[in-house]
Amino acid sequence: MTDTEKKLQDKAKELLEQGKVEHIIGYAAGSLKFTTTPLITKDKDDARQLVINPFIVNNLSVFLNDIKGKIGIVAKPCDARSIVSLLQDQQVARENLVILGLPCQGLIDLRKVERLTGKDRDDIDDITRNGDKVTVTTGGKTQKFAAKEVIFDDCLSCETPTPPEYDFLFGEPSSATDKELGRKNIKELEAMSPQQRWDFWKQEFSRCIRCYACRQVCPACFCTRCFIEETEPQWLSPLPRWQDNLLFQTTRMLHVAGRCTDCGECERVCPVNIPLRSISKKVEEIVDELFQYKAGMDKNAERFMTAYEPSEAEDLMR
Amino acid sequence: MKKIKKSDLNKLLSQWQQKYSVFAPSNHGVVKMTAWDGKDTTFLDWYRNTVVPPKNNFLPGMEKMFDIKKDAGYKLEVTADDTKQLIFGVRPCDARALALIDVNFKDGYEDTYYLNRRKNGLLVGLGCTSPCASCFCTSLNIHPAESQDVDVMFNDIGEELLIAEVTDKGKELLAASSGLSDATAADEAKAKEAKEATFKKVTRKINTGEIKERLMPSFENEEYWKNVAAKCVSCGICTFLCPTCYCFDINDEQSKGEAARFRNWDCCSFAVYTKMPMENPREEKWRRVRQKVNHKYNFFPMIYEQIACTGCGRCIRQCPVNWDITQVLSTLPEKAKA
Repeated sequence: MTDTEKKLQDKAKELLEQGKVEHIIGYAAGSLKFTTTPLITKDKDDARQLVINPFIVNNLSVFLNDIKGKIGIVAKPCDARSIVSLLQDQQVARENLVILGLPCQGLIDLRKVERLTGKDRDDIDDITRNGDKVTVTTGGKTQKFAAKEVIFDDCLSCETPTPPEYDFLFGEPSSATDKELGRKNIKELEAMSPQQRWDFWKQEFSRCIRCYACRQVCPACFCTRCFIEETEPQWLSPLPRWQDNLLFQTTRMLHVAGRCTDCGECERVCPVNIPLRSISKKVEEIVDELFQYKAGMDKNAERFMTAYEPSEAEDLMR
Repeated sequence: MKKIKKSDLNKLLSQWQQKYSVFAPSNHGVVKMTAWDGKDTTFLDWYRNTVVPPKNNFLPGMEKMFDIKKDAGYKLEVTADDTKQLIFGVRPCDARALALIDVNFKDGYEDTYYLNRRKNGLLVGLGCTSPCASCFCTSLNIHPAESQDVDVMFNDIGEELLIAEVTDKGKELLAASSGLSDATAADEAKAKEAKEATFKKVTRKINTGEIKERLMPSFENEEYWKNVAAKCVSCGICTFLCPTCYCFDINDEQSKGEAARFRNWDCCSFAVYTKMPMENPREEKWRRVRQKVNHKYNFFPMIYEQIACTGCGRCIRQCPVNWDITQVLSTLPEKAKA
């Protein structure tokens, strides 16, 4: 247990003991190597299970809609941005939250480690991060990588190493971002002709099995009834044809435009490895370019595309 | 028993390809059984198990059931898929899973779509050599390197693969195959040793006896189920990738003068599950989580005297939140009174 973990555990315990929150949402060790699991508890004794490590991947703000009452929530910067966005959309009330903010230096993407080492995660003995270096041990042999080779693309693109909103902060910010590397996949897509891009996405979305994990882990997908489940009339077919899969995802991405904080969860959880962040990040860039808007940075900011000024030039809106 | 050099496997698969649609593990974006390309057998070096289970070959993610065409009256044309599939590299857990789905789809009514594919299909098993950390097949009486649920079984013995016929269909397949040599007693001894080593590598365990005693008494413990369900995000990964889950939804599509009925995978974790015939009786998440566990470990065994889980571990490894069924099954709070 690190000092920072100890401080987090003590604070979580104190909040529960003093009745300042009814629930704590954080991360506990997972049941497999290099995993963590959401810890959602009312029990002060569970606070000692809280961990902070390079594998705290889940965006826990997705649970805020589910759980009633005062909540103490552990939040990395991108998760804190999702919380801010939920505050803006009045999905949660600030006074019901105690945000236990964690500065972040990027999380380790196991798929990248597997690709670089040629080993399955089950065969890797240890992954340790030390500053800008990550050491991977497999069968007694060690390999060293630059952190930016093995952290998630969305972490490479991170603009907020410190959460934009928090009540308590645990740890020091540091980051190994590389904006260019973070949009490598997007750059490749931009270089394609429309036909090539169409073929690319056709192939990718042919694998989609419609498990909806992308939607279920997305804090911005807070609709209680999703358009994909509308049956009267049916907007889109629930059958997993690539065309409908693609339409489902592009519609979802447009719905969360201006709310997506590039936490990368949709891409991480996709069991068939569809590079969904290549869409969400691009949408985020377009939103920023056209509207100078970044989601979840300021809880008092006007929400994206919800206000209209008569002076705006868009004919469609007049 | 027979054997073949690993480097000659492509020749054998090519022979089979003359008569069958051969499927084998591939990794084009995701590891699944795909139509074999006629040459690649490098999966022998990296293949642990598929992410998408081979149930996809028999109960596909979507399929057309029938067309209705308007002519003088209405004409119904039932879809018949008579493809002769040969799936190479099926793991013992997934082969057992198909045997479990068979039981359900033969009971009460005969699901001709699924059963036709099974009748026309051949399963060629491949024993595991490196089970995943999430695997717990041995607790469900499945040997990771042996199977009676396939037609032919292959086992890795180094440079070669040992081949055993299991069913009559498998016997016929091998009798019509050339390029196989006879296995020696030494080969069989080598295979036996390898199988035993693999068996020991499966370290994740559950106690099915204990589960049987605890699951029903724990059913009404709402607090327990609410607790274990809290972190579930209600996606379809665990059920869609489960080799034994067989729920499906029905969808009709129509255009002028014609219509068609399809079915696609459905999932009891979804809030909209069974909305088509009526309402979802399990509106709250904890009831859905409880249902998933109980269907596999309580209700299915009540009807068919077998647990509807083969310990393949996909639901653990692929879960976005590391919701681990083996942990849930080992913390059931209540026990039947003696």
